[in-house]
Amino acid sequence: MKFLGFVIVCLTGGLLLYGTMDLPDWGDPASPASTHLSDYYIEHILEETRVPNLVTAVLADYRGYDTMFETAVVFCAGLACFLLLRDFRPKKDRYFRHIPTGVMLHVKNPEIRIIPGNEFEHMDREWVPSDRIIKTVCRILIPFIQIYALYVVAHGDFSPGGGFQGGVIFGSSLILMAISYNLKTLMKRVTEKFLSIFAATGVLIYVGLGVLAMIMGGRFLDYGMLAPLVPWDPGHIRALGMLGVEIGVGIAVMAVMVIIYVNIVSEGRHDEGL
Amino acid sequence: MNHMPAILVLAPLSGAFFSGLAAWIKPSFSYYIALAATLLSGVAATCVLGDVMAAGTVQYRMAGWAPPMGIELRIDSLNAMVLVLISAIAFLNLVASVRSVDREIPDRAPSFYVMYQLFVVGLLGVTATGDLFNLYVLIEITSLTSYTMIALGEEGRSHLAALNYIFIGVIGASFYLLGVGYLYITTGSLNMQDVAVILKQIPGSSSAVLTAFVLCILGVWIKMALFPLHVWLPNAYAFAPVGFARVVAPLMTKVMVYVMVRLMITVFGLDYVFNTLHLADIVVWLGVIAILAGAFMALFQTDLRKMLTYIIVCEIGYMVGGAWLGNTLGMAGAILHILNDALMTFALFLALGNIVYVRKQVAFSNLQGLFATMPWTMAGLVLAALSIIGVPPTCGFFSKWYLVLGAFEAGAYHFAAALIISSLVCAVLFFKVFEICFFEPMATSHGHHDYGGVVMTEAPVSMLVPLGLVSTAIVAAGVYAGTIVNTLILPFLQ
Repeated sequence: MKFLGFVIVCLTGGLLLYGTMDLPDWGDPASPASTHLSDYYIEHILEETRVPNLVTAVLADYRGYDTMFETAVVFCAGLACFLLLRDFRPKKDRYFRHIPTGVMLHVKNPEIRIIPGNEFEHMDREWVPSDRIIKTVCRILIPFIQIYALYVVAHGDFSPGGGFQGGVIFGSSLILMAISYNLKTLMKRVTEKFLSIFAATGVLIYVGLGVLAMIMGGRFLDYGMLAPLVPWDPGHIRALGMLGVEIGVGIAVMAVMVIIYVNIVSEGRHDEGL
Repeated sequence: MNHMPAILVLAPLSGAFFSGLAAWIKPSFSYYIALAATLLSGVAATCVLGDVMAAGTVQYRMAGWAPPMGIELRIDSLNAMVLVLISAIAFLNLVASVRSVDREIPDRAPSFYVMYQLFVVGLLGVTATGDLFNLYVLIEITSLTSYTMIALGEEGRSHLAALNYIFIGVIGASFYLLGVGYLYITTGSLNMQDVAVILKQIPGSSSAVLTAFVLCILGVWIKMALFPLHVWLPNAYAFAPVGFARVVAPLMTKVMVYVMVRLMITVFGLDYVFNTLHLADIVVWLGVIAILAGAFMALFQTDLRKMLTYIIVCEIGYMVGGAWLGNTLGMAGAILHILNDALMTFALFLALGNIVYVRKQVAFSNLQGLFATMPWTMAGLVLAALSIIGVPPTCGFFSKWYLVLGAFEAGAYHFAAALIISSLVCAVLFFKVFEICFFEPMATSHGHHDYGGVVMTEAPVSMLVPLGLVSTAIVAAGVYAGTIVNTLILPFLQ
């Protein structure tokens, strides 16, 4: 069986190498890939869309239909983590900490009631005391990370960046909060409902802008048709449309990042986690 | 402006997200939204089919950009037919499976419906698109959703089946993507029509085009489970939750056969596939092996679900072999079989789901007395089985007829022999099942004998009506087989 695998790997590798024989030279300016469509894009994008970042224009406008489905793929990934990992079973064992002494209580009898308050704190098996230095540094850092994420989303038209990158950065700021404090601190601020609504709404913003263009009389995702909605700057309507879908992508990606993290680290139990 | 081509994909896509949102208001809303979305998509698909038959190929430019620059949906009579098939099966299955879903995954049913609609979006998008890379993105969506849904199935066994499927499925998708990469380097375009035009100017001996072709076709074969590449399929489909197995078994492999036909005819061109390359004979042999291997492996199963999944492997051999015979009859037979096999497999899995719903287990030892207790379900199962075997009034006969004619015209007598042998094996298979269901006495543990008679424990009406409709469709597709071939398939092939 191992030998068979080796033979198949060699055959596939050989096929890939054989295929490269007729490929154009590395960086050949006359190759089909750099002459056929690229010329059109380079010559026309700025006048047609007024977006200086050609990559964003191709991604979010010319091939915007693909990018919409890529966002749906990201959404699918988050939903898959939720569907497969989320564990709704009630917890059998409960753990509490006596705050003044720091003593941990492991309660096995479900009939014993301990009300969390000033004396007792509800907690989980994997709880570890968090570090004051780490907490303080992260608390200062997180707002700046989030501002930077918003900048990356908003600046996708002009410089490298966009919804996917910005969404990941924003999501990671929330994950950083979960790591430096604990999962519960995060889940108090962004609940599961909040995350799932944001994930679906993000993609719906993308689809909705496309459908809006259809209602205004254009094709699906034809941002040019939205011009009557922004009478003060109709010339940049395609750039604004792209910004709109990038915001949708950013929201969806941010929420999905957190959903994936939360479900994986806590094995779907949404308790203390890592 | 005719938006129907876009609506048929967008309806389940936005339906999926609205289902997800509505579940927070009331969980059952997500089901009704899914029902409405697939129905809307079916109506749109039917409208598009009407347009295509009236006025020829329908194009829809996404975002208004002309084809090689932007993405277009391009629907001709071949994919219009497949689109109607997908949306109809997706809708009927939702009607039939709501109770199975409630029983199997009660706590996360809304998420199931969201995933279900995304899966349908993937299939519809793959079929409707005229762009090679867009096809890949949508294959990714269908794959990701089916991995998840399969893992939701039978506790303990479905996880491993899904993991196997992920490993093999990802390899298949990567092969296809690599193939598209090679095509892009040699042609500089991703639009199918545009690539086809450019490929005509490239000498047929180009090694890059050959590599692209082999990689794309291999990727699609892995996804459709052609015989040596089929190992993921039986477990994945047998252990998936019933509500999903019923839609993935008839549609996923058939859509991949459609992709293969599309690549052969539209992108690379039949002239390149059959006259420049000399692979056709080998592939017809692969088809023969797939048919025989599938049929004989089915013979050794002792569980109805497993048996049906091996029949899918066998049927894939029909379509791949038929498409590679190299003549119009064979190709027409393969395309007709996409339609017929989807209907037959759907009917088989509907009946299977009904039996699972009532009996829980479908090992052969659990099937006694089914004709007495579930007569309607068994009537549907018998009709679908007759169609798989190829008995004349049902549709299965006619696609086999075209395939056999094609095989004789191409001189591929081994393929014709394999078709006939597999029909015989299928007859043995199903009559073995019917014998158990009809003649073997019921185990007393079922408790019905206490009342001195047999009590009917038929599946609910919501599960029987779709089965009745599909059974009618099987006969109708058989009666109108000639019309379908003459109005939809032959005009496309010429």
